[in-house]
Amino acid sequence: MKKLFAVTLGILTAFGGFVDIGDLVANALVGARFGMSLAWVVIVGVIGICLFAEMSGRIAAASQRPVFDLVRERLGPRAGLVNLGASFFINVLTLAAEIGGASLALELATGVNYLLWVPGVALVAWLVMWRVKFETMERIFGLAGLALVVFAVGLWLLGPDWGRLAHQVTHPPSDEGVPTYWYYAIALLGGAMTPYEVFFFSSGGVEERWTRKDLVTSRANVFVGFPLGGFLSLAIAGCAATVFLPVHAQVDTLGQMVLPVGLGLGQVGLALVIFGIFAATFGATLETALSSGYTLSQYFGWQWGKYVRPRQASRFHAVVLVVTIVAAALVLTTVDPIKVTEYSLVFSAAALPLTYLPVLMISNDPDYMGDQVNGRFSNALGTVYMVLLVVVAVAAIPLMLATKAGQ
Amino acid sequence: MRPPAPPGPVPRPGRRRLARALPQAALLAVLATGCVSPAWDDHDYGLKAGATAQAAASSVELVRLAVRDHDRLTTPYLKTVLTEASGDLGSVNDQFGGVQPPSDAADRLRTQVTDLTSQAEEEVQGLLIEVRRDGLRDPRGADRRLGELAGRLREIEEAHR
Repeated sequence: MKKLFAVTLGILTAFGGFVDIGDLVANALVGARFGMSLAWVVIVGVIGICLFAEMSGRIAAASQRPVFDLVRERLGPRAGLVNLGASFFINVLTLAAEIGGASLALELATGVNYLLWVPGVALVAWLVMWRVKFETMERIFGLAGLALVVFAVGLWLLGPDWGRLAHQVTHPPSDEGVPTYWYYAIALLGGAMTPYEVFFFSSGGVEERWTRKDLVTSRANVFVGFPLGGFLSLAIAGCAATVFLPVHAQVDTLGQMVLPVGLGLGQVGLALVIFGIFAATFGATLETALSSGYTLSQYFGWQWGKYVRPRQASRFHAVVLVVTIVAAALVLTTVDPIKVTEYSLVFSAAALPLTYLPVLMISNDPDYMGDQVNGRFSNALGTVYMVLLVVVAVAAIPLMLATKAGQ
Repeated sequence: MRPPAPPGPVPRPGRRRLARALPQAALLAVLATGCVSPAWDDHDYGLKAGATAQAAASSVELVRLAVRDHDRLTTPYLKTVLTEASGDLGSVNDQFGGVQPPSDAADRLRTQVTDLTSQAEEEVQGLLIEVRRDGLRDPRGADRRLGELAGRLREIEEAHR
């Protein structure tokens, strides 16, 4: 019974914690402009993140070491440094977007300008990372993120023409250009497979001292929790496709993105969705800030993690503090947090092979994995995804330039 | 455990130059995506007018959705949505106003577009003032006026695709 409770709680946490500012923005933008015609990308992204998160969880359980710890050892310091540079840059950009998202949610709740909330959000996030236990922190914000289920309820209550939504799946709008379609497909994939998720998942496995016995829980989180999170992403796109597409309204702010829930569920729904967005983005703020500390500390071989006292992992905590300050300062320059999110998604997409190739290589290496190496199916699917991710990485920046970032 | 990785190849000067140029190229790429280019001829100006009308119509439609069901939304939320739309319309006005019309025909188009976008901005600002005071006075009337504005902006968008 205790085990079942732990598995259920883990699934719910993974479900609630799946959606972050990137998923929210990408799905709302895409739903408003392309209807459900890019739903297939969400499915491809969810399968991809399930595949590689399962591998990274297995790496953590089999070797008791997180992925990035092994990247430098397996690929050498030079390739590891390239990987670190790309991941760290994207992490900081994503962290700025998440802090901006949490502040925007507070603006929607109070009417007070988001810039005034930014220092407070950053300070509270740092205090939580400093004082609260890893498991407590992960559970509270993962479960609170479940409030985003209101997107699915809101979609239901809006009473969409389900036949039309289904028709959109195979029929993109004719007035949108092909390059723009593929640009948003790439952004959506970048949102579903954000690199920090894998680093956080495997480092979290080590923080929680996973062993081979915990593989069942890890797989349940990944194979049930993440697809449920993907379902939420589709609900966000469905809401936007139902409300905005018929009037050709393009959304570019968080306030506009939650409007369908308000229209479907009224003030209670609006309060819940704003709470859910705050929980999801604040939770992701913690994850991205910690991931920055994890990757840098693991590359340089410093003591890291929340499972040791801060004094013992002082450089790790210093990195977390500094990146939180830098990201908050970036948002305080008044750069639009939604634009930062859009760029972070495309840069994430461009760096996807750098993140996922080492995961595939290490999970295939019997020296690290013992009898937990990849099976044929995982390898075949992993290889197909690597080809896809390389194509995506090559196309991401040229498409961003050609479409003027999707305009 | 694996033996330490063998030392990598010695970087060549060309490779170093490339490594130095990459961040600059990335920055230039990001900046280039946000630039507003001048209008070369009437056709180009027409395309910019169409894009401006499209962006303005989108903002107007969003406000219309919120105003129509304003009683289902909270006041701070409505205030935020209207403030954002007002800012967007102002920005659209400024950007299009900054493009030099290349001919007399372009002048007429400019007047037509900026009249509509300015009307839309004023309408949204008026609604924002009402929300900040006691709430919307005539949401149905606002819905009708916004609908008409959106329709006229869409006509310009269609004519200059």
